[in-house]
Amino acid sequence: MSGFIELLNVDLLIATIRLSTPITLAAIGAVICERSGIVNIAMEGIMIIGAFSAAVSALATGSPWIGLLIGVIAGGAFSLIHAFATITLHLDHVVSGAVLNILAFGLARFLLVLIIGHPGTTDSIPVTLGTYQWAIPGLSKIPVLGPVLFNQTPIVYFSFILIFLLWFFLYKTKTGLHIRSAGEHPLALETIGVSVVKMRYLAVIISGLASGLAGAYLSIENSAAFTEGMTNGRGFIALAANISGGWNPVGAFLASLFFGFADALQVRMQVFKLLPVPAEVFIIFPYVATVIAVAGLVRRSRAPKEVGNDFMIEREDE
Amino acid sequence: MTAQKLKPLFLTIIIILAVAGLVLYLASVFYGLFFILAAVIVFYLYKRMITDKATAREEMRAALKKLSIPGIGILAAIVIGAIIMLFTGYNPLQAYRALFYGGFVKNWHVSILNASPLIFTGLSVAFAFNAGLFNIGAEGQYYVGAMVATFLGIKLGLPPVLAIIIIFLVTGSVAAAYNYIPALLKVKTGAHEVITTMMFAHIARYLSSVFIRGMGGDPNTSAHAYVTDPILESNWLPRFKQFIPSANYRLHTGILIGIATALFVYYLLFYTKWGFEIRAVGQNKDAARAQGISVGKNIFRALLFAGFLAGLSGFNEVLGLNHKLFENLQANYGWNGISVALLASNHPIGVIFTSILWGALNAGGQYMARTEQIPNSIVEIIKGIILFLIVARYIYSYIGNRIKKRRKLKHPAETSGEAAT
Repeated sequence: MSGFIELLNVDLLIATIRLSTPITLAAIGAVICERSGIVNIAMEGIMIIGAFSAAVSALATGSPWIGLLIGVIAGGAFSLIHAFATITLHLDHVVSGAVLNILAFGLARFLLVLIIGHPGTTDSIPVTLGTYQWAIPGLSKIPVLGPVLFNQTPIVYFSFILIFLLWFFLYKTKTGLHIRSAGEHPLALETIGVSVVKMRYLAVIISGLASGLAGAYLSIENSAAFTEGMTNGRGFIALAANISGGWNPVGAFLASLFFGFADALQVRMQVFKLLPVPAEVFIIFPYVATVIAVAGLVRRSRAPKEVGNDFMIEREDE
Repeated sequence: MTAQKLKPLFLTIIIILAVAGLVLYLASVFYGLFFILAAVIVFYLYKRMITDKATAREEMRAALKKLSIPGIGILAAIVIGAIIMLFTGYNPLQAYRALFYGGFVKNWHVSILNASPLIFTGLSVAFAFNAGLFNIGAEGQYYVGAMVATFLGIKLGLPPVLAIIIIFLVTGSVAAAYNYIPALLKVKTGAHEVITTMMFAHIARYLSSVFIRGMGGDPNTSAHAYVTDPILESNWLPRFKQFIPSANYRLHTGILIGIATALFVYYLLFYTKWGFEIRAVGQNKDAARAQGISVGKNIFRALLFAGFLAGLSGFNEVLGLNHKLFENLQANYGWNGISVALLASNHPIGVIFTSILWGALNAGGQYMARTEQIPNSIVEIIKGIILFLIVARYIYSYIGNRIKKRRKLKHPAETSGEAAT
């Protein structure tokens, strides 16, 4: 029993934050995207693209900051394909997302061979963003919360800011209102003269940038290289966090924290070897938690009314 | 009148020719193609006999038109792939020669071996799609199927054919049961099957490692590190070599089971009440409910049967090809199954052809990498582009509209004159 007490210390909470950050970033992107009416299951693929381009450009330039920038932009650019396919070409959202995931696997593998010379993994980047760990003076001295929240690495801090920013954007600005209307009642939005197409494009790109950032976090902050399969279903877990969080940035963040906690717990349970069972029993823990959270919370929250539905207006001039 | 009487005769001839041709062709005996051609010609003659010339021609034209979008998509992807290769410093002509020679001639048996598991996962995804469900976790059901097939393959000592039938049914059923919880959650709480089946796929992936260690895999020895004990030889699927001596020795009859399953799924979907209900739910839930069709029941049926089908790809791999289960955490049968299902527009018969295309691209890619030193991941790109161009078929009318619009802007009088006439 004392073993279990030992598990639950500050390190576990720090690991929770670190493991939940990529999920949080992708999940708040998913919130914006789904509020605008577009289902985005391509996040897994966008994360792969973001992680890959961040690692490769950090390797090429030696600067993780340039890697970060390129990773985010690459994520946004890749998400444009999803926007084009679903909004302009009226393709089914889930189908487009699945195709983009497949495309991302292939693209990353091809470019990996082309640039690095072998599949699997890139070389390690010289300086990771993890080395820029910064303890906020004063705040980081608070017991428990200090080391957990205020002694972190750049993208983690940025994710905290982003949650607030996107919440503010979605609920307190006019554009945010328009994005939400695009998912609730697109025709009404179009009637007042705002382009649903533009709002949806904007939302998908924001989601792509956020997922690209999540990918960059995985490859240049949390580790020092891009490895194939490193996203490991996090894009889908982020989608689950968005749903269990009730299509709300703050809710999505809390759900992501829960999934990050499940992940951190399983890692520590593996290390501590408290129970005589195979490690895989712990590894599957976050996936089980995701299923339970989605099944348990989906009823309580209401999805945007027009999410997943195509929007098409027949214009006179066409 | 005579044509009606001759119908059974014609059908028998067509079926015999087609099956003989198919088996020979699949077993790398390429003159089997002539049999298939003959079957098509006999079919055309038969059509001509029972209908008039114009209708028969019209039907042929419609069939060709249906094939034109995939054709254009594949051609465009080949062109885009060539452009990418030019930019990255490879010779596209050399690459494509090796790709097609390797995939469709030299290593045709590898293409078929690659295709057979994909037929099952592809059918699984396509079947669920017909009910409006996305079985994105087919990979997980494959792992479950593979585990069950390995377990029974090792333990079950029965007369060969009987054992294979039992393993076939049990493997599928357990994999179907694995989809029970996602189906239940979908019906009871509305949890989206994309998330639940995906999570279950990850779970099955990790459980397969535990299973392999439990069935003889021992990480402490390098010889048996991540692989189970072999299954009994009496449980192996028959091989083409047993009746066509020139066939490659690895080539097993899983592909024939796959094709038979595809035909069965086609029949089930389009000629039974069961299939009709599933398609009705897939097309419009509310309309189906108004007709007294239970939506929940059909979601259960569709997801469970999709699990059954995906589990069979494990059966195919273990009993046919490997005869043991390797730890392969990136098997990707699920994702490739989604690709082939989407390419085939979720039509069970189409899945057969798209699976073979995918299998051939993979086999050709390996051959190309070996002989021309061109990375076979270029094939992944070409596959992705083919997929995108075929799935987003609206892109053609989009481009068409764009061109028309531009023309209209340039020559407004001309087009408006056309409209007036």
